[in-house]
Amino acid sequence: MRRALAVSVFLAAFVFAFVGVASAAHAEVVEYMSRHPLPKRVGHGFCDIDVPHFHDYPPSDPRLYRQVNGQYYFVGDPTPFDYDGPKYSFYGPHPITDPGVQFGGPTYCYIRGPHSHWYAPPPQAQFEMRGGAYWYVGAYDPVYYSDQPRFVVINDFYTPLVYARPVIDVRIAPPAFRGEIFVGGGWRGGPGGPGLRMGGPEPRFEHREMVMREHREQEMRREQEHRGWEQREREQREHGHGPHGGPPAERGGGWHGGPPAERGGVRAPPAGIVNNGGHGGPPRGAPPPAGGGWHGGGGGGQRPAAHGNGFHR
Amino acid sequence: MRTKRDRLELAGYLVVGFLVLVGCHKSAAPPAGAPAPGGPVAPATPPPAVAPAQHVEGTPHTDVVENAWRGAGLAPEGFAPLQPVPYGASYCEQGRLQTLDTIVCEYHDQDALGRGQAGLLEQWGREGGHTGVGFHSKLTMIGVIDRARHDPNGKVIHQVIDTFRKL
Repeated sequence: MRRALAVSVFLAAFVFAFVGVASAAHAEVVEYMSRHPLPKRVGHGFCDIDVPHFHDYPPSDPRLYRQVNGQYYFVGDPTPFDYDGPKYSFYGPHPITDPGVQFGGPTYCYIRGPHSHWYAPPPQAQFEMRGGAYWYVGAYDPVYYSDQPRFVVINDFYTPLVYARPVIDVRIAPPAFRGEIFVGGGWRGGPGGPGLRMGGPEPRFEHREMVMREHREQEMRREQEHRGWEQREREQREHGHGPHGGPPAERGGGWHGGPPAERGGVRAPPAGIVNNGGHGGPPRGAPPPAGGGWHGGGGGGQRPAAHGNGFHR
Repeated sequence: MRTKRDRLELAGYLVVGFLVLVGCHKSAAPPAGAPAPGGPVAPATPPPAVAPAQHVEGTPHTDVVENAWRGAGLAPEGFAPLQPVPYGASYCEQGRLQTLDTIVCEYHDQDALGRGQAGLLEQWGREGGHTGVGFHSKLTMIGVIDRARHDPNGKVIHQVIDTFRKL
């Protein structure tokens, strides 16, 4: 009996050890399609290799990548990672037009507001260069909307970051642009200053002027609400009611100042907007703003196009 | 007494098991025909017959590639023809660029090139390394592997590829 037990223990130990050694014998191979940031544990900065290659480490943050045929493609703005190559400014979501990669279908960048990429759109793509940036003015493929919940989380990464976003004059945005325009406070600027220029020519499009005015009013309302909640929280703390002020958080997670609601045409402001005092949005547990600083240019965000996005790879 | 014997027996099993494990590990790590990590690059399985190495016309020759790298400020060193020619190529040279192991191969057709490039990367992936790249232009393939993180940001590798693709 004891002998059988001993043999069983030995066999179990052997199998366990063999599996461990066998897996260690195969080095980790992670394939990348192009350039990408280096994870902190590996080093600092950016990998400059712009052709498919492999490393022995996985991406630091999967929100910044798409996987295509098992290879990771970095879809973010390389600026915060000490990227020192060519850069082109964009405003709002757009099809990814990197000539170095083939996705096999329309694939979109979901970064809101001003940002940069290492590629410029090809002439045949439906972009307009205005105010120092490329604006996508074509229709969005239905896949843009179906993928949005999965990929819009990239903004959770970028909005709290303080870095030099491109300076873009949003007042001369193309009328056909369907995305969101943020005004009234601007992005936190890095060394290059805020990513929003309030000077320049008069706005050419009345609806944008309305959006700006409305936004400022909403911001004031939100600040008042914010102050109100703070005041109530203070009072509750003083009366021993604990720190849980405000109504119950929506969708089970509270409002983190991260991804705004995707429906309804009015969106919550991203974290990192200067005018909220740099808190990255209202505190957790506070109510989501009734009318955030983000506006769908076409009401309800963007409407799906019937077919295609006007850009074919 | 019997308990003690059982313990001795178990210890014996463990020792034998450990030796078997070490043996398995050693035999599993480098595949047949593959070089030891850091050693010269060679095919995973040697070709059945040793064919004479021949340059391929209509595609950049290895010496042209090496000269281009030299002209770009890189320092190719130790490049020498590989015999037998690995990865299904017609001609291959292997050496180092800024301490990175590098191979240049010429092929007669795209299919062989595709298989050769995949085989190269598969082998390098098995061996392990910080970074590995296979890239081709026309019918010439280059492969670069950084085994010891000499080029963590890929700046040298980028320059190697950028110079090559301009040929």
